[in-house]
Amino acid sequence: MKSLKFLALIIIPLGIIIAAVPADRVRHFQLTADELLQEAGAGVQFISPDVVADMLVQKDPSLRLIDVRTPEEFDDYSMPGAINVPLSNLLADEYTDIINQDAYVNVFYSNGSVYANQAWMITRQLGYENNFVLEGGLNYWFGNILSPEEPSQTSPNEEFAQYDFRKSAAAALGGGGVVSTEPDVPAVKAVKPPVSAKAKKKPSGGC
Amino acid sequence: MGPLAPNEIISENTNFLLAFFIGIAFGWVLESSGFSSSRKLAGIFYGYDAVVLKVFFTGAITCMLGLLFMSLFGWIDLDLVYVNPTYLTSAIIGGVIMGAGFIMGGFCPGTSFCGAAIGKIDGMVFVVGLFIGVYGFAFTYGWWEKLYYANYLGEPKVSEALGMKDGLFGLLLIIVALGMFVVAEWAEKKFPREEY
Amino acid sequence: MSNNKTEERGRRYLNPYVGGVLLGLVLLAANFISGRGLGASGAIKSVVATSIEMVDKDAVNTMPFMADYAQSHSGSPMKSWLVFEMLGVIVGGFLSGAIAGRLKLKVEHSPKITSRRRLVFALMGGVLFGFGSQLGRGCTSGSALSGMAVLSMGGFITMMAIFGTGFALAYFFRRNWI
Repeated sequence: MKSLKFLALIIIPLGIIIAAVPADRVRHFQLTADELLQEAGAGVQFISPDVVADMLVQKDPSLRLIDVRTPEEFDDYSMPGAINVPLSNLLADEYTDIINQDAYVNVFYSNGSVYANQAWMITRQLGYENNFVLEGGLNYWFGNILSPEEPSQTSPNEEFAQYDFRKSAAAALGGGGVVSTEPDVPAVKAVKPPVSAKAKKKPSGGC
Repeated sequence: MGPLAPNEIISENTNFLLAFFIGIAFGWVLESSGFSSSRKLAGIFYGYDAVVLKVFFTGAITCMLGLLFMSLFGWIDLDLVYVNPTYLTSAIIGGVIMGAGFIMGGFCPGTSFCGAAIGKIDGMVFVVGLFIGVYGFAFTYGWWEKLYYANYLGEPKVSEALGMKDGLFGLLLIIVALGMFVVAEWAEKKFPREEY
Repeated sequence: MSNNKTEERGRRYLNPYVGGVLLGLVLLAANFISGRGLGASGAIKSVVATSIEMVDKDAVNTMPFMADYAQSHSGSPMKSWLVFEMLGVIVGGFLSGAIAGRLKLKVEHSPKITSRRRLVFALMGGVLFGFGSQLGRGCTSGSALSGMAVLSMGGFITMMAIFGTGFALAYFFRRNWI
């Protein structure tokens, strides 16, 4: 009982202090133009399509694809599970919760990467985090991920690994909206993507 | 500055070496607090020995206060510290299964290794059981995959969910824990057991 | 050293609050150095993943569990933070027990039950705990303790589920313990 009182005498004042001081971490700050330029120059916003394909195949619940094209284009074709936030309406109130959050990895995409990049610039300048841009956009996605080209025999092994991964990903993703004519598409789930994410390194935890 | 490893202040291998030393300290504290004894651990559920409750909550509060103060002084970036993701369904069901395992086996994974290290045969058997359980999960994973990913909530903090500052929630946690300690001290007097 | 003396020394455990503060400092060190909490069951998962990989090289392609694992761990599964930490736990536990004179090969059980019954229940408890820790993404140390320290909602939920179930079932297993 004595040691309990001693413990209480230490931790209660500490608790009161920590409860009384203002939180020092201002989560959402505005970036200066310089900082933004630096980040954009380093290309930290890009996430490789291989990583996105892998997350899609693994059904990673933290991935959220955001289509920044117009609703018409979105209705015409969209990536699996994507939601539509047109660039022109990016700052509408209804989308604030989507682009300013820390539960999901948001991946903006457009046909190329110009519009998606603009969306990223705007959100990043507001200090929002967890937003990324699909490298190469839909064009690259169609041309290289869903219909990968077999590397020539003299190519380095990494290229073959990348090709194998993309082929299996394409199969698992059903050729991207194009209904496959093969009767049994093997649900290949487990080939590792050959490139790693450029996203910020976070320690993996778990027990 | 901190955390050191994610900020790449120390290398990956140094991190592993330090993990070993942290483990030694962890094992030492567990063992010397009596966590290598299953009857001492199970005591919390019958009121005769509340060492689990006291050590567990004092530990969590000490670390929490430490992290909050370090963040206040700018020594650590809490955004880089791993916060367990919350998958509501699997957290509850997994927790219930673990609770049943706890009351039956009298250990949890960390403490069973400690018990086994000092020669407790029940601890060793529990460790064998752990492996069987993990193998069982690995081979039947397909059945649970949906459940495993259900109700993903991101990485929320309780304080955020309740709409209060981290520090204020910390103070509440301290008060609740101290209240529980007082009850525990009372229960230990009320339900004493023979020496075991 | 006589048996009696061993018993007597063995009783001297740390004051629980002192132990708790020390545990908190270890956990704080883990968070400060590695940006993560402590854990235990993850190390078992690493060993399990390694053994499956050794027996079946293709497991990573055929078993979703392995695929998930490979996704989150690059390189050999044994080269993981938790494996090194758990090796340390065994060493640390052994050293502490050796210094306090608690090293003794025995089955600890209530005088009312047999060793055999104790071992059967220990095995069943281990199986359940092993399974539950995988489903719940962490055990008492990894999810509940470390999670609570960083105020993770998942940590609090897991902690309440573990101890709540323990209390709810305590009545049915009382003969094993008291």
